[in-house]
Amino acid sequence: MQKKIIQIFLFLWFPYLVNSQSIVNTVHNLSAGSTGSIKATTETEICIFCHTPHGSAPVGPLWNRDDPGLTYTLYNSSTIDALPGQPDGSSILCLSCHDGTIALGNIYSEIADISMLSGVTTMPVGKSNLSQLLNDDHPISFVYNSSLVLTDGKLKDPASITLPVELENEKVQCTSCHDPHNNTYSKFLVTSSQYSALCLSCHERPNWINSSHKNSDATWTTTNPWTHTDYTTVSENACENCHRPHSAGSSELIMKYPVGEDNCLDCHNGNVALSTKNIETHLSKYSAHNVSDIAYEGIHDANEAALVSVQHVECADCHNPHAARQNTQIAPNVKGANEGVKGIDQSGNPVDPISYEYELCYRCHADSPNKPASATSRSIVQNNVRLEFDINNPSHHAVTGVGENNSVPSLISPLTVSSIIYCTDCHASDGSGPLPDDPPLGPHGSIYPTILKYNYETTDGTPYLATNFELCYTCHSEASILSDNTFGEHYVHIVVEATSCNVCHDPHGISISQGNTTNNTHLINFDISAVSLAAGQRIFVDEGINTGYCLLRCHTRGHSEAMSRY
Amino acid sequence: MISFIICVFSQSGFGQISGSEHDFSAELWNTSGEMCIVCHAPHNADVSIADAPLWNHQITTQVFTLYTSSTFDGVAGQPDASSKLCLSCHDGVTAVDNFGGETAGTEFITGARNIDVDLSDDHPVSFTYNTALATADGGLKDPATDPSGLGGTINADMLIGGKMQCASCHDVHNTAGEAHLLRLSNASSALCLTCHIK
Repeated sequence: MQKKIIQIFLFLWFPYLVNSQSIVNTVHNLSAGSTGSIKATTETEICIFCHTPHGSAPVGPLWNRDDPGLTYTLYNSSTIDALPGQPDGSSILCLSCHDGTIALGNIYSEIADISMLSGVTTMPVGKSNLSQLLNDDHPISFVYNSSLVLTDGKLKDPASITLPVELENEKVQCTSCHDPHNNTYSKFLVTSSQYSALCLSCHERPNWINSSHKNSDATWTTTNPWTHTDYTTVSENACENCHRPHSAGSSELIMKYPVGEDNCLDCHNGNVALSTKNIETHLSKYSAHNVSDIAYEGIHDANEAALVSVQHVECADCHNPHAARQNTQIAPNVKGANEGVKGIDQSGNPVDPISYEYELCYRCHADSPNKPASATSRSIVQNNVRLEFDINNPSHHAVTGVGENNSVPSLISPLTVSSIIYCTDCHASDGSGPLPDDPPLGPHGSIYPTILKYNYETTDGTPYLATNFELCYTCHSEASILSDNTFGEHYVHIVVEATSCNVCHDPHGISISQGNTTNNTHLINFDISAVSLAAGQRIFVDEGINTGYCLLRCHTRGHSEAMSRY
Repeated sequence: MISFIICVFSQSGFGQISGSEHDFSAELWNTSGEMCIVCHAPHNADVSIADAPLWNHQITTQVFTLYTSSTFDGVAGQPDASSKLCLSCHDGVTAVDNFGGETAGTEFITGARNIDVDLSDDHPVSFTYNTALATADGGLKDPATDPSGLGGTINADMLIGGKMQCASCHDVHNTAGEAHLLRLSNASSALCLTCHIK
């Protein structure tokens, strides 16, 4: 008997059981019987807050609310190609509560407002109240068609968008992402936002599929940076690591935080990203690409030209968070960390994306006006590193192609005269941890000048220590150099006279437009603070392999041909 | 068990047409003083609409503007069957006192009860509601199997010839005694949620 009663009971209540995800159990149930906190004092009907069977407002499906009739501040950015209009279609229906201007109980079919508990009238201030400022929300009410896809280049073909995500008369509306009747996925989303599945229904980013921000299972250690989602790893949060679809910190690009680098350093501060990807710790060092410098705020633009015209640096100048990843590469090919960014090629033309790492550095350190000056004043002045590394130069470090010198016995294996190196082999955050992961590979910040990875003593007369030239000796054997097997006077100059490598050698190279193969082989371009003119001359003369002489004055000591020939 | 009892009894109301909004016996425009005669007559009834029950009121000749919506998967035609009978007063154009052969009536429905000839702001009627529609729509219950709340299925209890009509929601004779002559209480939007999966 008892069993039979239970069966009857279940039959009668079955419709309610299978509807456990219905609007009845959501905060969109504003009736007195709601489990939510915002609800009517006595009205028990649920549908009535939005719908009426007769005499509906003309704006929507049997709509029971007024059109707010307001002008909204719309989303805009330098990269948007869509044209969001004033909210229309079903979006204006949502805003009839969610702009916070019309009382929740103010419905079309009743003269008096439905009375709400606790004196609530309009949508309380909070994340559900979008206000009239829609510029910090994902754009809506714009046509999303194949023409937009062509213009934008980073959107999926709308024909490939499948239910439950759908457009309304070719437009993205609130209902493209939200189903007001169903809260299965939280926030009334039409599908799960885990791994940003919903965002990726429309958005398509080159190389996102391989990127660390898509694939990393890293989680937080001290502070949860993802309080706005239910997810605990980078991969699960995906887009929402940095972006917020509503009430974003920045109106442009709907970023989580208004200041660009805050979005990166939220995780790259030792909290989420591995300690080897802790960037924040390097930014305050002696020399740094200090993205936190207040003087740089507001200059970077996602749509800016490859050639930087106003000096600044932000994380996004060198990294594409939609493509960045960790991989193994061979110079000069761009490393995963910098994949998918724009740059300037060796000919001085903009490229997007870059193929070679040095093309990224050329954004600021080549043809850019107001670029940083050279650290050393030299006979031949050249601040454009693109010209310094031209493979036609009389000499250059092997960054854009193999070097000019076929005899470099000091090179430490596996390096040979055929090797190519990265800018970041010399310019990188300092640190003595094991390569390649500690410290971060890039030039974020260093205790040494010009963001050099190792010590490089440039002050002439500093008593010799091998560690003074730790940078050079990483690739060039100290023993080989000091054995005088190439330049016969290396030992005397370096050890006895305490001359810095930097006094005679210009480490980048000497431009073909300024130097020649007689005076500027072997990266010879003198530091004029130490080397002055003698009889009007300050030159090195190359006479072939391992032979030549100098005509100059070093401090007080003149160098004649006879005296200096080696 | 208590819930079970409440459930059973809440499904049977107690009402009657007498004293309801459809009791026209005391209206000045109804000189007969009879209650039924405005709609029904025992003899010489209008049989132009199939199954019209002994119809005694002028039938509307209006062409109605129909409900449309991008999310509506049904096919609503011009009101037919009993819905056309309802609209023979509620179109606001056909005189309420045009019954028993009278065509020069002067009494018209006004205000909220005037559905008028624009049905675009009203829940659609006179469309076939079957399993196929429920499947295509995805947000509707299956009328062939889902319960109506009146004892049987939606199809058996609420549809007429397989169609949603005014009488699917409203009982013109006020049997249930619910507000707006509804067939079931709409507390907690129960009537809406009989068909809509929301």
